[in-house]
Amino acid sequence: MAPTLGKRKRRYELADENNSSGESARDQSTNELQTLLRQHFEAAFEPLEEFQPKTHTAEITQADTSDSEAGSDWSGFSEDEKDGVEIIDHSSSHTLKADVSKEELKTFMTNKPPIPGNKPVASTARRNNEDLVDPEEASTDAANLKKDLALQRLLKESHLLDSQSSLSHSGQNRHKALDLRLQDMGSKSSIFTQQKMPLAQRKGIMAKVAEREGTRRRTAKENGIILEKAVRGKKKDEGKRQRGIGAPSVGKFHGGMLKLSKKDVAEIEGPKKASRGRR
Amino acid sequence: MSNPSPALVRFQTQKSLAHRLTLATLTGRPVHISQIRPSSPTDPGLAPHEISFLRLLEAVTNGSHIEISYTGTTLVYRPGLITGSSPGSGASGGVIRHELPAGCTRGVSYFLVPLCLLAPFSKAPINVLFTGSGVITSATPTGDMSADSVRTAILPLYAQFGISNNIELRILRRSNVGAGGKGGAGEVHLVFGHQVRLPKTVHIMNPGRVKKIRGVAYCTGVSASNNARMIEEARGILNSMTGDTYIFSDVSSAAYLPSKDKSNPNQKRKTGVGFGLSLVAESSTGSLYSADLASPPAGGVPPEDIGRQCAYQLLESVSLGGAVSLAAATTVLTLMAMGSEDVGRLQLGRDVLGSETLICLARDLKAFGASGWGVRDANTGQEGDVVVSVVGRGVGNVGRKIA
Repeated sequence: MAPTLGKRKRRYELADENNSSGESARDQSTNELQTLLRQHFEAAFEPLEEFQPKTHTAEITQADTSDSEAGSDWSGFSEDEKDGVEIIDHSSSHTLKADVSKEELKTFMTNKPPIPGNKPVASTARRNNEDLVDPEEASTDAANLKKDLALQRLLKESHLLDSQSSLSHSGQNRHKALDLRLQDMGSKSSIFTQQKMPLAQRKGIMAKVAEREGTRRRTAKENGIILEKAVRGKKKDEGKRQRGIGAPSVGKFHGGMLKLSKKDVAEIEGPKKASRGRR
Repeated sequence: MSNPSPALVRFQTQKSLAHRLTLATLTGRPVHISQIRPSSPTDPGLAPHEISFLRLLEAVTNGSHIEISYTGTTLVYRPGLITGSSPGSGASGGVIRHELPAGCTRGVSYFLVPLCLLAPFSKAPINVLFTGSGVITSATPTGDMSADSVRTAILPLYAQFGISNNIELRILRRSNVGAGGKGGAGEVHLVFGHQVRLPKTVHIMNPGRVKKIRGVAYCTGVSASNNARMIEEARGILNSMTGDTYIFSDVSSAAYLPSKDKSNPNQKRKTGVGFGLSLVAESSTGSLYSADLASPPAGGVPPEDIGRQCAYQLLESVSLGGAVSLAAATTVLTLMAMGSEDVGRLQLGRDVLGSETLICLARDLKAFGASGWGVRDANTGQEGDVVVSVVGRGVGNVGRKIA
């Protein structure tokens, strides 16, 4: 029997003799069965390690009532007790600290199917790591950054400054500066480009732009200056255009009439066969 | 059409009836299905959920023709055009209301998954509201996944086929399986607004590694602590596998149904009480593996058991390998077969491909005139994975276009 904690609790091991005879007989039979099974197993495979068939013993634990004796006989934990330590881990099922953000909750628990690999939009809230940096250094860094930004802006927008005014823009120039900054940050078009205008006027403007660009390139070429590569139009969307379901797959349907361009007709007809007269 | 009555495709028994009818609708071939539960003494012929599915098909198509024999053991279905929820064809206000009967034993996903397969090829957006006393949003003992899993594990896969816009699955009211495994009283609204001519050809070859696990624990009409207990147990198993595990909890009350008792019509009864768990594992390349389990209608299972079993089910699904789990493979392979005339490839676990459902699907597709699948061993992924090459039919939405 394993060593116990002092004599506080006495265990009496009682053999199974006083149990009913039927139960012991059943135990006997199970033991026999197990040995049989074991023999069969060992015959087929490797011999097993020695193991003790479970004996059906009842342990009755009795609390010792004589307290005076128990108090004096306490001799601390025995050395061998160490290997019998049971480890219970409650940490595994707990929520980890890095938990799901509100954005994640929004993307997962909405009505729309969550698209895999789609990262939720990063929060714009500032990170709270100011305490990690030296405050003095941080202040000088911030000041330097500010000055740097001011200098950059001055360089880029100095052409807008009036001769008489101060370093800050005003009126129309302020709008122009703002537009420049927006374009710097990645805006596709200027806020000054007019959205709607007559086609003829737009064409005129486009022609003028093209002409200006042409002359610039020509003079540069004549003077031996290498310019940036010309961008030719917009890139077309890859693949075929998705037409509406039920819409015709060729031509333009307008006003109840299907109009086929020459190109469409040529595509339908296929390549014309070359004249066979050539020898 | 050039051929007004193509030859009937003949099938027997009720096995994968819904999917066969879906394939018939997609390919435009009429089907003849015989021997539907012919030897059942009490319920021969079509079951309530199958009849309900036929009604749904009739609602979203135009010109379908359904003949059912007296005993219900034989069915002839001539598909029409998939019109979706266009006004004037049964949709009021652009929404088709589909009521499921109280005797329905299948979850709402039984209807949702085939309907989603039809939806990309529809003429108008599909907009169906499932109501009635037979809508079960949870997983069912009959093997249907929960509506949550449809949203989180099936619908995201459509994005790989270029079908991603305006898809919504709203679970308006939850319900577990009612007494005797029949009925619930949930409400689900499916909006599928992205129609394409042909789904893109896909090559899903890299399963990746599981990096995060998400899930929804739901309970209706029982204490919310059941959710917490399921989550606790599932996390206990899954946390050691991946750090990024989070299971959301959704608590709702059970629906009341009016009593059938005529003497006391005010007396209402609760239905669809229970709890369940839906888990989805997502890999680094966007593969999804799902698991679903809900409390049985008879009760008597502690939430810990549900949580544990569901977690193990998820691990099993991941262990089967492949880039697509068994639950979603039918959807993906059908979409590939309906794609453009090009070879798409899909990596699957060997046991997934060898499952009865997929073998049955391959035979059905062949019966409907699709070309056979090519199978070879995969180079990447788990040991024993196979790559299935599927040639699309290249028909897509053309049938709809001729009309």
